[in-house]
Amino acid sequence: MLVSRRTVLKQVLFVSAGLAVLPSCLHEKKPPAYKVKNIELSSDEEATLTSLADVMIPNGEKPGARQVQADVYAMTLMDDCYTKADQEKFKTGLQAFRKEWKNGDEAFLKKMEETAPDASPASAFYHTYKGLLIQGYTGSEYYLTKVFPYELVPGRFHGSVLVNKG
Amino acid sequence: MPNINTGDTSHNFDAIVIGSGISGGWAAKEFTEKGLKTLVLERGRDVKHLKDYPTTSMMPWEFKHRGQLTQQQKEDNPVVSKCYAFKEDALHFFVKDKEHPYVQDQPFDWIRGYQVGGKSLLWARQTQRWSNYDFEGPARDGFAVDWPIRYEDLAPWYSYVEKFAGISGNKDNLPGLPDGEFLPPMDLTKVEAYFKDFVSKNYSDRHVIYGRCAHVTEPQEIHKQQGRMQCQKRDLCQRGCPFGGYFSSNASTIPWAEKTGHLTLKPDSVVHSIIYDGQKGKATGVRVIDAKTKAATEYFAPVIFVNAAAVNTNIILLNSTSDRFPNGIGNDNGLLGKYFAFHNYRAVISGKYDGLLEYTTDGKRPTSAYIPRFRNLVKQETDFLRGYAAGFYGMRPSYSKPDGFGNQLKDNLHKKELGPWMVGSHMMGETIPKEKSRLFLDKDKKDEWGIPLVHTDIGYDDNDEKMVKDFFEQMTEMYTKAGFTDLKTHDSKQAPGLDIHEMGGVRMGHDPKTSLLNKWNQLHLVKNVFVTDGACMTSTSTQNPSLTYMALTARAVDYAVKEMKKGNI
Repeated sequence: MLVSRRTVLKQVLFVSAGLAVLPSCLHEKKPPAYKVKNIELSSDEEATLTSLADVMIPNGEKPGARQVQADVYAMTLMDDCYTKADQEKFKTGLQAFRKEWKNGDEAFLKKMEETAPDASPASAFYHTYKGLLIQGYTGSEYYLTKVFPYELVPGRFHGSVLVNKG
Repeated sequence: MPNINTGDTSHNFDAIVIGSGISGGWAAKEFTEKGLKTLVLERGRDVKHLKDYPTTSMMPWEFKHRGQLTQQQKEDNPVVSKCYAFKEDALHFFVKDKEHPYVQDQPFDWIRGYQVGGKSLLWARQTQRWSNYDFEGPARDGFAVDWPIRYEDLAPWYSYVEKFAGISGNKDNLPGLPDGEFLPPMDLTKVEAYFKDFVSKNYSDRHVIYGRCAHVTEPQEIHKQQGRMQCQKRDLCQRGCPFGGYFSSNASTIPWAEKTGHLTLKPDSVVHSIIYDGQKGKATGVRVIDAKTKAATEYFAPVIFVNAAAVNTNIILLNSTSDRFPNGIGNDNGLLGKYFAFHNYRAVISGKYDGLLEYTTDGKRPTSAYIPRFRNLVKQETDFLRGYAAGFYGMRPSYSKPDGFGNQLKDNLHKKELGPWMVGSHMMGETIPKEKSRLFLDKDKKDEWGIPLVHTDIGYDDNDEKMVKDFFEQMTEMYTKAGFTDLKTHDSKQAPGLDIHEMGGVRMGHDPKTSLLNKWNQLHLVKNVFVTDGACMTSTSTQNPSLTYMALTARAVDYAVKEMKKGNI
């Protein structure tokens, strides 16, 4: 246990140090490659998915979308569970979205929030990806053990309980 | 032709049961308890209680797709993927479309579970008795043929199987839905209790009750002997229950039969046909194809129970041809495979209720409320025959607001709010068996095991359409009067079969000219062959049928063994 934790810590320190001394390479850093078979993603497109996941549910005291791998889940679902047509729509939407959104541009995201999913390819992408990130987040081990614990064996059903006002 | 193994004693038994699902499991239990050396043939793989429930203890996040089907799974399985329970956690218990083809002359969604336990692992566990309003239906309303039995014939057998299976229910004292041997009910929700009260005050002939279901809510000695424990309200029944909280062949009848020492269970054994000996004037055994090696063999016994599931039982009998029975065993009248029927599950209604907001629920519940049939129950009162039962649920889901992004969204996801009560009902309509609604075997096409492919030629009729319309009208009226709002009605137009209540083709009746089976589920013309699964049903009524198959099976085994002792079989 102790050894492996130390190893992990060392790796974390090494990665942090690497980032610290190579700031000019940041824009070239490889984002985590999503293991998708049916959708082709350039590394820039992957970077957008990663950045948007960070912006959508940011890390902090409580983990964000990427810390619980909600982005990995989102792309697994898109890759495995959607039709070819939906995947193409997602990809086209992602490309349109990338043209208009720079990381940090909150105004554009606010606009997306107010735009109906079917209003434009970018909006369709935004709402689909957001929905998948939420699914991934609320279905994660973190969420279902720490936030709203999932009961595998409830052992009870009460049909009429007063709502707790507290 | 298959090999002949007449000299091999291991191929000789006192009884053969074809199928290990809900009715086959009962036949196995009853025969072995009475001391008969019993062979159970199951076409699928073995599924051992506890050991072979691979997903039963998995947490939601351990499923790669959190329960959803992949696009490939949907495309590969256009039929079975329509079934509500065919999801990531239970798809290993369903037949995949490509593995077992059939020919749909009219669309028929045939949902199958080929394994030890069959669909008893997957059923919805609702167990409502029939009454004489159901058994007398065909005679009163002039369709099909008269049932050769009445409620009184089956009542003691309902009690017999209920005590062993473990049925949770309320004594409701309704003539149309007789009470049984009940373990304590689970709770109705506040809104279900409200609607129950509302309906009883406003309609003299309509009722909302707790749906009786095969869950051990308070284990009795007989359940402890089976190694079954109290239902833990996981609501994950389709994965197989590690507590044996609900009744399945795997948790209950099959291990019980094994304990007697008289059971031989052979999985991966596809029954090709029943062997008929024209000189003896009876069936002598069955031809079996090994599911994996395709090797043929034969087994012999003085009595044969066919419990292969409704469609498969029809296939086996139709494929059991001989000089005496060129059109299928016991089929002189040509009605085998005909008068096939099902339950009409097309219609659903949903809405919300903004009252009783000071209440909610706690925990989970693997059943819901039930509205017994009220249409045309005592007498004919509409322009369609028969009627429908309905489920009823009133649950209060909580949700997180998905608004915004960044910390706003994150905060939202860390809170949950209670929404209004959501209510809904689904229709369970009786359909009328007709001669033109039929199964038959293809003349040329065969499956991998050399068995002809079955054609399904079954559809809806005008009576069904009128019933859907009436369901929407009546439920809308009841819901509206009760103060439910945002009502939405939906006709799924789903094909017959998806109800998974397919019945008939080998119907019971008084007369060998118009039916295949007598009042003991015995082929009129071959007295040592019995059919006690869904294939035997003369009419369908509205109740979920499994409990009736269990009672018919136990009754028929009791009769068969008595007849064997008398030397009549």
